[in-house]
Amino acid sequence: MQKNQRRIARIALSLAGVATTCSLLSAGPVMADGTLVSGQSTTIFRTRESMIDNKTLLAPAYEYLTLSATNLDKDGRLSFYFGGWGRTDLGSRSSDTYQDGDLRYGYLSYRSPRNNLMANMGRQFIAEGVAAEKVDGLYLRSDFAAGFGGAVFAGAPVVTEPNSKGGDLIYGGRITQGMPQYYTVGASALKADLSGNRYREEEGVDIWLHPLSQVEAVGRSSYNSITNGWMEHAYTLTLTPLDRLSINADYSNINYQDYFFHMTTNVFSLISPSNPTGIIDPNEQMRSLGGNIAYTPIKSLTITADYKNYTYKIAGTANYYGGKASFTLPDAFVAGLAVHRMNGSTDKLRYNEYRAFASKKMQHLDLTADFIMAGYDSRIDGVRNSYTVVGAAAYELMPGLKIGADVDYSKNPTFTDEVAGLVKLSYAFDIRRGAEGRSK
Amino acid sequence: MKKKIMIILAIPLTVSMLYACANTTSIVRTHPEKVTGMPDCTECHSDARAAFNHQAAGFFGKHRFYAQQQPLACAACHEQSFCIDCHAHKEEIKPSDKYADSPERNLPHRGDYLSQHMIDGKVNPAPCARCHGRQNNEGCKACHR
Repeated sequence: MQKNQRRIARIALSLAGVATTCSLLSAGPVMADGTLVSGQSTTIFRTRESMIDNKTLLAPAYEYLTLSATNLDKDGRLSFYFGGWGRTDLGSRSSDTYQDGDLRYGYLSYRSPRNNLMANMGRQFIAEGVAAEKVDGLYLRSDFAAGFGGAVFAGAPVVTEPNSKGGDLIYGGRITQGMPQYYTVGASALKADLSGNRYREEEGVDIWLHPLSQVEAVGRSSYNSITNGWMEHAYTLTLTPLDRLSINADYSNINYQDYFFHMTTNVFSLISPSNPTGIIDPNEQMRSLGGNIAYTPIKSLTITADYKNYTYKIAGTANYYGGKASFTLPDAFVAGLAVHRMNGSTDKLRYNEYRAFASKKMQHLDLTADFIMAGYDSRIDGVRNSYTVVGAAAYELMPGLKIGADVDYSKNPTFTDEVAGLVKLSYAFDIRRGAEGRSK
Repeated sequence: MKKKIMIILAIPLTVSMLYACANTTSIVRTHPEKVTGMPDCTECHSDARAAFNHQAAGFFGKHRFYAQQQPLACAACHEQSFCIDCHAHKEEIKPSDKYADSPERNLPHRGDYLSQHMIDGKVNPAPCARCHGRQNNEGCKACHR
């Protein structure tokens, strides 16, 4: 009952977002001069076999809509952003319901031309230090004197709750200090409550160091104050001794008991006396150490060799290594080839990965081919080689209007022969299109 | 009581002074040059934004740090729809299926990910939890009850 109410509330929120945006659009004449509206509609038809329901044929249709209205006021400081999708099944039911949808984001934004002052209100994705959260609420940030900066946020967490609750209120912030050419250090924290009780409490420090043009270090450590343990340390060092050569070294350490804390799905539930059927061993600890070397002999071609060692407190070790080559002619052609080997101490962690792809862009036509394969040392459900072949084509009917289709064929442990298809019609309307630099 | 009032007054006053003295120019809301595909930001930038070179070998692994350290720099080229294609609250189409015509992008879950997710979950479940720990996990219950 509660779930249905939430679903209704979400749909109502989505409709409210659309209504607000439509109001903004229809109110065009009374808006400030220079108000700009841009957006994209993407309609997708898919067809595939159901994995669960006796492999019946599914045919869901989706509509994705993004809208932005900028320069809402005369100073160009106010803007509104909306993104959402809806789905209806044309054939068998593809999830719990025949129709579904989601408000991906919808917020009003104020930005000052000075001090990077920004205030957002509504549903938004917030990335600040330890926080990478979707929130229905408020976000504020600004630069301060002496290279300091600060951000705060608060609101209702936007989560899915298939097995466990996700909290009632979340808030947090980040303070930074730095010099844009050389370094930034940050300290951040977030806290979430559930029914007045402590639900999540995370603190972290992050760094970005760039002492020389050839050296960069970036990373973060995060701490769980409820379990009193470090959740994660993750750092990367990049050296670029030559323009054509870069060397990356990565270090990561995850403590499972502290990291997988209060997730909302049983998939990440910790094993405990009260939850003996949990999946994650709280005593496990994973440390990975590795890196890659990338060489660009000519501007269009990059060759990369990479290696990563995983060491587990309980599960042993695994080594992942391989190489890839990519060839890029901007706006014309891309191709890539990759081969990797995972060599672990259990059967499941011994396999090879292969990938080859190419995509050619002609005047109005794009053609793409992609091949992905995994070869397992030990068969999974009788299958040693799992592969997918994808063919895609897209045609620009007119500026902003594009139709595309792709077909993929797979042979894998779940499907002996699976064919899936997708047709996509996208229409972008943006009076500044081609001049605003947005990538999509 | 007096002490509390002083603190309550001092905090906004200090923040206001720090703000007034900052005097920095905001990062542009929209990148002034048209950018398509995977840009090499070092072609124009030499400060923190140069690190955003999307063609660099380690960029994909580091993008989460950049996004959590310099979200406004990301926002100059990307609307939230770009992030949420992968970091979704609810999503039914894999990003690699939605953008099968962009094979050069580092989109997760290419190919037969139904089999591979069992393996990746053993290798390192932390990246799985970043997107599916508290969001976009309603489909998991079909098997993981």
